[in-house]
Amino acid sequence: MNIHTYEKLWLAAAMVLIVGFIATITYGSVGVGVAMIDDSEATLDPNDLGEDERFAEPRVEHVGDNEYEAYVVARQFIFQPNPIEVPAGSTVTFYVTSADVIHSFSIVGTNANTMVIPGEVATMTVEIDEPGEYGILCNEYCGAGHHDMEGLLIVHPEDEFDLEGEE
Amino acid sequence: MTELEREIGHDEYDPIGTLALIAVYSAILVVMWLFMYFVEFLGNDLTVVGVIG
Repeated sequence: MNIHTYEKLWLAAAMVLIVGFIATITYGSVGVGVAMIDDSEATLDPNDLGEDERFAEPRVEHVGDNEYEAYVVARQFIFQPNPIEVPAGSTVTFYVTSADVIHSFSIVGTNANTMVIPGEVATMTVEIDEPGEYGILCNEYCGAGHHDMEGLLIVHPEDEFDLEGEE
Repeated sequence: MTELEREIGHDEYDPIGTLALIAVYSAILVVMWLFMYFVEFLGNDLTVVGVIG
């Protein structure tokens, strides 16, 4: 088969793009550690969150050196706890579930964003380097008060952070 | 019908304009690809991290 030189060029360029896209995603996943949010957590009864040791009392817990876990309940039309307070320079895993309908938990202006489905627990780990404040919004239409459903994530400077109930 | 004026061989056909267009499109694609992934996405902390599996 006789293929024109130019045609070989742009076929090669298209292949480079495809291989490049795949390599980029692989780098993001393996090199940077970007992860997907999945449904690996066990399901629970959304009408019985009071019986669940994680969600009966929505809170932030100190679980390791610089590791924190935040147990968050989304319900019409609030996030609990609010605000969520963590220190800078920490790794925070959010466990988010819904007490009623489908919500979302979106940390505004960042890549941290998940659906919140009643009966399921969305887990999301983020590394937080700098102090500051982030808004949290619900991005799934969840009822008449949807537009008012917001929360706050406060990242305190490391040396000023003091978790309630901890020495 | 017009008469055949000149016959050219396979490699004498030279669509340099098409090549230039495709080169420009490709350059735009490459710039958008690098900008969107490495600047807009990876630069937009907080990012969800974890291990695969």
